[in-house]
Amino acid sequence: MPASEAICSNFKLLAHHELGGFGGMGEGMAVQVAKDGRRIIWLAHESAPKNFTAVDVSDPCSPKMVVQTDLPQSFMRSNSLELTGDILAVAYQCQKVGQKPAGFELFDVSVPEKPKSIAFFDCSGPNSRGVHQLWFCDGEYVHMGAGAPDFKPTHPQDDQFYRCVDVRNPSKPVEVGRWWLPGTREGDNTPPPARHKAPALDRGNRAHNTNVYKQRPDRLYLAYIDAGMFIMDISDKANPKPIARWDNSPPYTGFTHTLVPLFERNLLIMTDESTADEAKDWPKLIWVLDGRDETNPVPIATCPLPPHETYAHRGGRFGAHNIFENTPSPHAWFSDQVIVGTFFNGGLRAYDISNPYQPKEAAVFVPEAPRGSPAGAIQLNDVFIDERAVVYTVDRFSGGLYILEMDF
Amino acid sequence: MSTLDLFPSREAGQFGRRLKRPRGTRIPVYVVTGFLGAGKTTLVREFLNTPEGHGTAMVVNEFGTVGIDDALVRASADETVLLGNGCVCCNTRSDLQVALRGLVADRERGAIPHFQRIVIETSGLADPGPILQTFVSDRALGGEFHVEAAITLVDSVSAQETLHWSVEARKQVILADRLVVTKTDLASLPKIELLKDRLTDLNRHAAIETAVNGVIDPRRLFADRNGEGVAEERNTFVAEAAHSDGIGSFVWTETAPIAWDLYVRTMETLTALRGPDLLRVKGFVNVEGCAGPVVVQGVQHLMHPPVELQTWPDADRATRVVFITRNVPEQAVRDLFAAVRALAA
Repeated sequence: MPASEAICSNFKLLAHHELGGFGGMGEGMAVQVAKDGRRIIWLAHESAPKNFTAVDVSDPCSPKMVVQTDLPQSFMRSNSLELTGDILAVAYQCQKVGQKPAGFELFDVSVPEKPKSIAFFDCSGPNSRGVHQLWFCDGEYVHMGAGAPDFKPTHPQDDQFYRCVDVRNPSKPVEVGRWWLPGTREGDNTPPPARHKAPALDRGNRAHNTNVYKQRPDRLYLAYIDAGMFIMDISDKANPKPIARWDNSPPYTGFTHTLVPLFERNLLIMTDESTADEAKDWPKLIWVLDGRDETNPVPIATCPLPPHETYAHRGGRFGAHNIFENTPSPHAWFSDQVIVGTFFNGGLRAYDISNPYQPKEAAVFVPEAPRGSPAGAIQLNDVFIDERAVVYTVDRFSGGLYILEMDF
Repeated sequence: MSTLDLFPSREAGQFGRRLKRPRGTRIPVYVVTGFLGAGKTTLVREFLNTPEGHGTAMVVNEFGTVGIDDALVRASADETVLLGNGCVCCNTRSDLQVALRGLVADRERGAIPHFQRIVIETSGLADPGPILQTFVSDRALGGEFHVEAAITLVDSVSAQETLHWSVEARKQVILADRLVVTKTDLASLPKIELLKDRLTDLNRHAAIETAVNGVIDPRRLFADRNGEGVAEERNTFVAEAAHSDGIGSFVWTETAPIAWDLYVRTMETLTALRGPDLLRVKGFVNVEGCAGPVVVQGVQHLMHPPVELQTWPDADRATRVVFITRNVPEQAVRDLFAAVRALAA
């Protein structure tokens, strides 16, 4: 399938915004309803020079850029953000260990045009690249995949672990808990974990998504890249304990990215991330797990990937990445029947999991290659759905923001 | 025992996930019928040349002459399947099933471009009834495809005569969701009006589109119209029974919500007794305990699994189901519902 060809099936494209020519977006998306009633979507950029962009999506057919900020250093990337009320948390990761600033920053965005810094939580250190991903949905704690100045990993790739920071006083964030995979820190009495044999597939035994939901504030749903996923007991935040672990690799190729619980359905949805061009790490999947016994999650299905032969050589990456995570926000949609995920050049795909043993593709959106994309094809990177069921998805390189309606 | 027992969801109703529209995620199918020379190929070709026509797979059936129409559409359709010699409603129905399954399989493995709708152009002689039945009777097809509309083209020059002598032509009109009067530039206005009266006599539920100066925007015809044809119509059992082969239609309406069991028992009885005479049943049922309307569809003794919509399309909450039947009057259906309700009481 040529990269110039577009597919839109059971989605309806409402608008496309190239974000002023800086349309390379990361995996942080959050919706705010400002005090003046405007609906603003906050978007993290994939890499420098831009930090984050806010877009007024009150009328989803006519998005308007509100503000776009710059990073202080070209070696930084913001990649991840979350918002509670009018407080925005933004993750900062550097290209190399030891670089600064690395950590997360809190902003007051009550006036969206003028984000005001409240605090910076420093995670830099001789063995730290900073924060790759964060979760901030209750207004009280930031859960994140981060390095730390006092953490020396046994392998340089294993530098980011789970950290929980109390931000109830937003001007003075304080770390209250942390957990790392035993064996990944120097001094552990456990041997270092096994690594993927192919160097290109060794992406680290480190934390990625760190989801916590109001239905179970005592549980952390932790994706740990090459170490699989963990369900963690965080009833004592100072002392997180693993309850269950499941790792699909080997024989699969690692990079566990996201773990989302569907509480009432006793299901878990887990995603891999494709990180190699030309689908060299194929297949990267969305997995459905039976979570009736939280100590023993059992994989029961995967969401059907589109054909390898159609997409592998279309340009850039092809495979699963982010899904909409039922973000616990008053301005987020919720579903335990439909999963919506991004697949890089495979576009945006919705799956009906009414029957979780047989997920069924419900809708597809694959736009044509965006202008100026070095991949030469769309690379849809992340997705957010607001409580109006308006779908927002972003391109990793240049396409910016696409706004859609689910039509099924 | 169902998967919902193992993995319950408050989002799911008694008919599963509530859908935004009757077809849900299924592929829309447009069945284009019309007697020989009515202009089917022209209309389809014009649609394929519009931007909205992109992503259309064609299934073309020829009767007697092989490949002429196919040659016209192949240049613009993403994928065209030409069914063999023979009428799609008779000996090639299995070809149709094979062709549709093949299109989906080829799409899923990337062998053909992605398509998002299918247009079936029938031969002029086709009775659309068996084609519509195919989508209800074949579980696999019914799960994958949804007949969005049966579109019948009527030639304003010769249709009155054709409707007089041809049972198939009459059934094409009676079973249509959308009627298009074509070649209006070649017929007088009074003649066109007489034809439209005749069409309304045969089918009061279908929207009638008229080509202006012989031209009609095909995009009007190949579009989703949520719940069309069941919203506002009244009982219109065909008056001219002698010319309609006993076929007529009516809308069964009920204002109070109905217990699903009652609907099912009534329809089971009706299909057991008069299944062959139920040419088409479709509509919305206001089912007790459901937030949105339940979409029902059937052909003869076969009923498609019901689906619940998220919301009603308008303020009207009444059950309204269109019955197109052969010698089954509205009162008989009403009496049957009353009898079953009395038994259940």
